[in-house]
Formats: sequence, structure tokens, C-alpha cells
Amino acid sequence: MKLSAKYNRVNLITSLVVLAITGLIYYAVIHFILTEKLDKDLLVEENEIEQYVRTYNKLPLPTSYLDQQVHYRKLEKNLPAIRKFNYTIYYNPKEQEEEPGRSLTTSVALNGNKYEVTIIKSRVESEDLVRIILFITIGVTGLLLIALMLINRLVLTRLWKPFYTILNQMKTYELAKMENINRIPTIIDEFKELNDSANAMAASVRQDYTELKSFTDNASHEMMTPLAVVNSKLDSLLQTGTFTPAQGAILEDIYHATGRLFRLNQSLLLLAKIENNLLPDVQEIDMKQLVADKVLQFHELLEKDKLALIDQLKPAKVRMSKYLAEILLNNLLGNAIRHNHEGGSVEIILQSGSLQITNTGKKEELGDKFFERFSKSPTSEGTGLGLAICKQICALYSFSITYKYLGDKHLFRVTF
Amino acid sequence: MKILIVEDEKSLLESMLNYFTGEGNICEQATSSRAATEKISLYNYDCILLDLGLPDGDGLELLALLKKMKKKDGVLIISARHSLDSKLEGLDLGADDYLVKPFHLSELKARVSAIVRRKNFDGDNVIVFNEISVDVFAMKTTIKGKEIILTKKEFDLLIYFLSNKGKVVTKNAIAEHLWGDEMDISDDFDFIYTHVKNLRKKMLEGGAQDYLRSLYGIGYKFGAL
Repeated sequence: MKLSAKYNRVNLITSLVVLAITGLIYYAVIHFILTEKLDKDLLVEENEIEQYVRTYNKLPLPTSYLDQQVHYRKLEKNLPAIRKFNYTIYYNPKEQEEEPGRSLTTSVALNGNKYEVTIIKSRVESEDLVRIILFITIGVTGLLLIALMLINRLVLTRLWKPFYTILNQMKTYELAKMENINRIPTIIDEFKELNDSANAMAASVRQDYTELKSFTDNASHEMMTPLAVVNSKLDSLLQTGTFTPAQGAILEDIYHATGRLFRLNQSLLLLAKIENNLLPDVQEIDMKQLVADKVLQFHELLEKDKLALIDQLKPAKVRMSKYLAEILLNNLLGNAIRHNHEGGSVEIILQSGSLQITNTGKKEELGDKFFERFSKSPTSEGTGLGLAICKQICALYSFSITYKYLGDKHLFRVTF
Repeated sequence: MKILIVEDEKSLLESMLNYFTGEGNICEQATSSRAATEKISLYNYDCILLDLGLPDGDGLELLALLKKMKKKDGVLIISARHSLDSKLEGLDLGADDYLVKPFHLSELKARVSAIVRRKNFDGDNVIVFNEISVDVFAMKTTIKGKEIILTKKEFDLLIYFLSNKGKVVTKNAIAEHLWGDEMDISDDFDFIYTHVKNLRKKMLEGGAQDYLRSLYGIGYKFGAL
């Protein structure tokens, strides 16, 4: 929910409640005043009738004017005197319809007899007045509310504009581009503060990023140099003379270990680089061509284990780093070949939106840890980072990568 | 060939010096940017092996200096930085090749030989070893004047061996050279055996001597017995 919507809602409800209460009070007061006036008129009429009786010693004629009626009724002598105001409905002969009225019931004494006098005055006019006043009030209220809402909307939208401008800049902020968040011209303190804070944050993030980048470089350098020394010393040692087969086996093991250490280090650095999006060579990649190249590159490995290759390659273009695209394919194909058995098969299906690599192989008890770092089957000679890297690459470009074990086949599917 | 190795890591420098010395190669060394600048200004080299991370300056500055002095020395950058940026920057500044640490000495030698060949023989790029003659550009191999047909991999393999004559080259290094080091292959490099076997067979059939020997199960040595 937007802040302005929330604010508007509160505003609207409050206004409605206040106006409703005001309206009710207004109605009640006006009603009361008009009734008072009617009652006063009724009393004046009563007074006139009493004076008439006293002067002429007879009852005036029962009248039935437009909005006033007088009736008489003979009462028992010993009944106490009465005087009562009432709301009533009476028949208006002129309008030929029932109308609301206000009646005064009182009694007069004439020649030792008691008569009940009922004076009824029409309430139609006062009711109409109240109604008109009520309608005008409601109308004005409605107008006021609409005006309030419109003003709120227009003014709020304009007031919040700097906020949304800053927000949009933050949304489209790209760290690798090292850009600043533009200063928005505003006189509102809160937005100025937001602008400054966003800029300060961007600056500190940029600094961290630069430091991380140089850390990655340094870590790589610091680790690779000793590795390079070990490797070069091994190469040198190999040239020094003749070795027995046993010594040869030891040397081979050392070569393997350094090779693994190198690949491990390289994979870790690569993961850090992908996580921090330090590989900007994003370009349109012809996946079909790239997959075909990789298949050619892996040809000898496929042949070695007598693996049958089934490929269905349709044209597919993907926007990503070329380097990462190669690594993704290397890792997936490498796995498909490594975790296979002699005489098995590797199936590659490339479509415009997905790449599917299926290979025969025995089930691995890794559960859903397949893509986690350093999770690998005990017999695997890999680094345990290959699929973690694949997952990270896919996450970077919002691709999805899934694994399934179907029948006796491993199935990896990347959806671009 | 005359080579200058600019590297601050002493033991690595020593290994490279040892590997390159011999066969009439002259190797000189520099462990700092200053020493290297001095040598570069005084002498000409066929190839300079340049480490980018030097204690007293970036190796890229040396590269810029070479360009400014209009020197024709070949330059091979050796760096621990596996970042695309510095690779492109180095090649833009006129370096001939870029090798990431750690590397196999045999790979280094092969690359240096390739650079020197390109620099020395403009267009006419032929390696001759006894009865074997290899035209690198035309991809033609002849033994005693008679052409033998090699596949691309066998041809690359032969050049690799010729660049590392008399040295033990590991299977590991060969695999990385022919298939690329980004291909995270298994530690089992036996699949290169087929290529080595075929190359040897073709050369023997062509009338060459048997120069190839398998050693300790680790690698191969190419050279006169």
C-alpha cells in the first residue's frame, strides 16, 4: 500500500466520521428549533380560542385551513384538564393526502361542559426546510471531500516526486559502472537527507567493491605464486635425472595434488568474481556454435570411455559473459563425462530457451545438496565446486538450473 | 635466443632460468622494475618474460616504456592476475602473449619459442630438427623432404615437443596445452596417449628416428637419444 493511499484513507475516514456527526447534530438542532416554533404557534392559537370562548361564550367553528385544523370533542365533566403536544399524521383535504403534523390537545370549559380541543399544524414546510438544509450540507460535504482528495493526490504526487526519482536511481544502480546518485533539487529536508544517505551508501559500497576487487586480485596473486613455484620446481626436478618407477609415481601424485589445488583456488576465485559480478564481458552468444565447439573439445574424453553422444542443437542466442558461458558448458559436460560409465551416453538438447544435458550414471546420494559448495560424491576427483559455479552463473543471469535423476540417467536442465 | 626474465619471486626465476639455459640460449634476469628498465634500455632481447606484479612498479609500465622506445622485443606477460581486464590491457600495450601463474615450464617454453619464431622469421616460419622440418604457417611436416600428414592435434603436439627438445614434458602439461586449462578435465590424462602414439607411428613410418620416449608414467621426452 502506498503511503499516500494510506494517508488518504485515514484522512477520508476521519473526515467522513466528523462530517456525519456534525450533520446529525445539525439536523437535531434545526429540528428542535422548528418544533419549538410550531409549538409556539399552537399555543398562540390555543390562546385565541380561549379568548373567543370567554368573549362569545361559544366555541369557534371547527376550521380546516390549508395547514391548520381545529377539532372539538365533548368530554366527561370530571376529567382533569389536559394539555399535550404530539407528532401526528392528519388528512389534508386540499392536497388530498396524509401529511405529518404537530398537534396540541387541550381542553376548554364552556357553560359547565368540558370540551377537548385539538389543534393540528402541518409540519410539511418545516420538514422540507430540514431536508433542504440536510441536502445542502451533504452536497457541500461531498464537494469538500472530492476537493480534498484531488488536492491530496495532485500535491502528494508532486511532493513525492523527488523520492521516486531517487528510488528509481537506486533501483537502476549498477555497481560495476561506478556511477553516482544524482542530486535532486528539493527543499524538503527529508528528501535532501535521503539523497545524501543514498549517495553516502553508494560511495561506501563502491569503496567496498573496489577493496574486494583488489582483495580478489591479491589473494589470487598470493596463492598462485607459491603454486607456480611448486609447479616450476617439479618441472625442474623432472629434468634432473632418471627416476625409478616408484619415484615417478610419487612425482605424479604431487602433480595431481598441485593441479587440484590450482583448480580449487581458481574455482574459489571465480565464485567470488561471479558473486560480485566482476565479469563484464557480457555479449550475445551463439550457444549452438559454442556447444558444438565444446563437444569437439571433449571429443577425446568421450571416446576414451566409449560414450555415445546424442546431440540435437537448435539455434539459441543467450546474453551472458563468454567466459562464463564456456565455464558453464565445461562444467556440465565435464560432469556428464566424469560421472558416467564405460559405454554410456551423453545427450545434449539445445533449444532456443533451454539446454538439457542427460548422461547415464549411477545414482548419487547427495539429495538436494547437489549445487552446494564442496558437496560431491566420495569417489569424485573434482573440486566439488563445479555445480556451485554453474548455479552461481545461472543466478547471475536469472537462469534456472535443475537436476533430476530419471531411470538411470542424470538430467541437468538450464532454462535461459 | 636471448631472453630477459623479469620476476621478483626468486625461486620461480631460478626455475625459469634453468629451464631456458642451454641450447645456445642466453638468459638474463631482473628482479625489479628498475633493474629491468636498465637492461631494456641497454640491450635488445628476443623475448622478455614479464611479471606484472613487481615490488617497485607495475609491469605494464615497462611495457609502455618498450613501446615508447620503439623496441621490437617480444613480450610474454606472466601474471597471477587471471582477470580479463589486465590481459586485454597487456595485449593492447603490445605484449605478444599472456600466461597465467601457475604454468608448466614446458608451456612457457613453447609460447616463448612461438613468439621468437614469429619475430625472427617474418612469414618463413620453419622449425628444423635433424631430418624433421615443420612449416608452422603452412602446417606442413616433412621428414627427409617427404611430407607426412598429421592431424591438427598431432601437429600441435609435435611443435610442443620440438619447443621442449630434451626436456621431460608431463602429460598434464600436454593436455592443458592441447585442450585448454579451463577444461576442468579429470586427473586422468591417459587419453593423450592415443595422440602421442599416432604421432610417433606416423613419424617412424615417414622414416624419422624414434625420438619420443615415455618416462616414469608421468610424461614424455622428445630428443636425440
